[in-house]
Amino acid sequence: MARAHVTRTLALGAAALLSLAGGWLYMRFIGNDGTSLLDVLRTALFTLVGFWLVWGGVAGVLGILAPPRRVQRRPGRPHGMTAILMPVYNEDAAASFSRVAAMNRSIVALGLADRFHFAILSDTNSAEVAADEIVWFEQLLAEPLAEGRLFYRRRERNIGKKAGNIEDFISRSGGAYDYALILDADSLMDGATIAAMAARMDDDPRLGLLQTVPEVIHAHSLFGRVMQFSAAYLSPYFARGTALMQGEEGPYWGHNAIVRVPAFAASCGLPVLSGKPPAGGHILSHDYVEAALLSRANWKVEVDPYLGGSYEEGPENLIEYAKRDRRWCQGNLQHRRVLGAPGLKVWSRFTFVQGIMAYAASPLWLALLAASILAAALPSKYWWRDNETGIWVLAVAVAIALLLPKFLILVRSALGGRNRGFGGTIRATLSVVAEIVISTLLAPIMLCFQSKAVVEILLGLDGGWPATNRDEGRVTLSTAFAASWWVTVAGASVLAISTAFASDLVPWLLPVALPAIGAPLLIAATSRGISSGRKPLLFTTTSETAPAPIIVEQQRIFLSWTQQGPAPADAALAGAATVHA
Amino acid sequence: MKHDRSDVFSGALPDAPLAMPKQVLERRRSSLLLTLRAAFAAALPRF
Repeated sequence: MARAHVTRTLALGAAALLSLAGGWLYMRFIGNDGTSLLDVLRTALFTLVGFWLVWGGVAGVLGILAPPRRVQRRPGRPHGMTAILMPVYNEDAAASFSRVAAMNRSIVALGLADRFHFAILSDTNSAEVAADEIVWFEQLLAEPLAEGRLFYRRRERNIGKKAGNIEDFISRSGGAYDYALILDADSLMDGATIAAMAARMDDDPRLGLLQTVPEVIHAHSLFGRVMQFSAAYLSPYFARGTALMQGEEGPYWGHNAIVRVPAFAASCGLPVLSGKPPAGGHILSHDYVEAALLSRANWKVEVDPYLGGSYEEGPENLIEYAKRDRRWCQGNLQHRRVLGAPGLKVWSRFTFVQGIMAYAASPLWLALLAASILAAALPSKYWWRDNETGIWVLAVAVAIALLLPKFLILVRSALGGRNRGFGGTIRATLSVVAEIVISTLLAPIMLCFQSKAVVEILLGLDGGWPATNRDEGRVTLSTAFAASWWVTVAGASVLAISTAFASDLVPWLLPVALPAIGAPLLIAATSRGISSGRKPLLFTTTSETAPAPIIVEQQRIFLSWTQQGPAPADAALAGAATVHA
Repeated sequence: MKHDRSDVFSGALPDAPLAMPKQVLERRRSSLLLTLRAAFAAALPRF
């Protein structure tokens, strides 16, 4: 743990120093004709948002410098009993249950069936989807050694949403299990990984939670494939860097993680916050809070970025991404209510602040933009004319903070032979460059969506609990326009105002304003899938070039199920399914 | 292990309740006014 303290202190110091240096540089060139109150405000905003920008980069660089993978002994047979929980909420039952079937086969093949049970915990409130779930559960019961090991129950009132769903299971059945592996409806994990995680819990009685870093799979659209590539190629390094800093006070991302049931039960009963949503009510982003509560009770919470065999699926277009982001934004901003909770570790409080700033930074960037236009529009306030070198130095510094970690990952992957799984070094390089271009084009649109979400939440508008539409792919131009016309208007307004009052700024604003103006086009274009049968040139990942057996098995099961249709209902098996209020 | 094939609940989720006490996350705000109100509420008879 001492190593984590040293690492996080050094990382925080580096991020603070670099952002202060950036702020000083910024102040130098904006204040070259005298410093006004507006200049001070702009510098403060720049330094604050710059800190979070640099902070992300520092995690990436740390991950690149992280020591190589520890040699882990082959895990023995787990002693503890594990419940593998899959909470579902109006999902595609055939797809979700086929993942359970694949994981079950993987565990049965390892000869560990007696150590692992599966429970599908449904919060579905659509009668049609609920009927589908029963039908596909009966199909699932035809899987090897299913009887007495595979369970399904549906709550008719989904109190507390996902956290309430898990809590309901633990309150009713938690005493039968030592560990619970918590999944999402789109989670898929290899049996060997699951067994290794349970064995780690056996070996370390202080370990309260072990989180994996799931790899995104099955993306079809350009947007989805960019996210998939980014998650597979870049995220592991950022996760390693973050893990170095977190030590035993690591994260919980709500799925693809194992918890020690007695520790979780004793420490993680979430209260309903006083007041109405979005600030009060049930805690939406429960995972961060549960990790903090386990740490408060002195349980170790660790993330292991080296554990493979952990997968999830991601949104296929920017609208679905923004819907999910709206929910996460509301959850993270709600954490301001628990920042002062008694007894939390300092790092847990910092993690809450980090989560809040992940969204609050967007309106702050917009505020910086507005203040810059205002400053340039004021008489005799040419913000860079007398000091062109300064703006270039600053632009290069920001570019380095954003891009350096990605290029370092590329170099390290080339040297270590990792690029082979991503189509070779040339294709990996092209993919990284294309990822930078596409994420730069989409960033202003995401900035607008996030800023809107923050403003809505601060105005007290509750986003509710929309079901995730995981298969929704292609977006038509009219749908994209309906969702983002206001982004176009905002981009055009910024450009018009700056052309009229601050024409010097226009070239610098174009990279932000033009993508915003073209938001509907970009959203529709990036939602398009690749032609079937064509091998994509870019964004190749190892899950495509050499898919893990569990991925192949799940696809095979899903195809055979959906082509044949569900098996006829078997009344004798109905006892494994329960419904309660 | 509590849960094995001979368990009477092997056909459905095991009946093995585990308490999950609610944690304290919000600090209680106290003020002179709230203290006085609580004291009066406790002292005065209810009608």
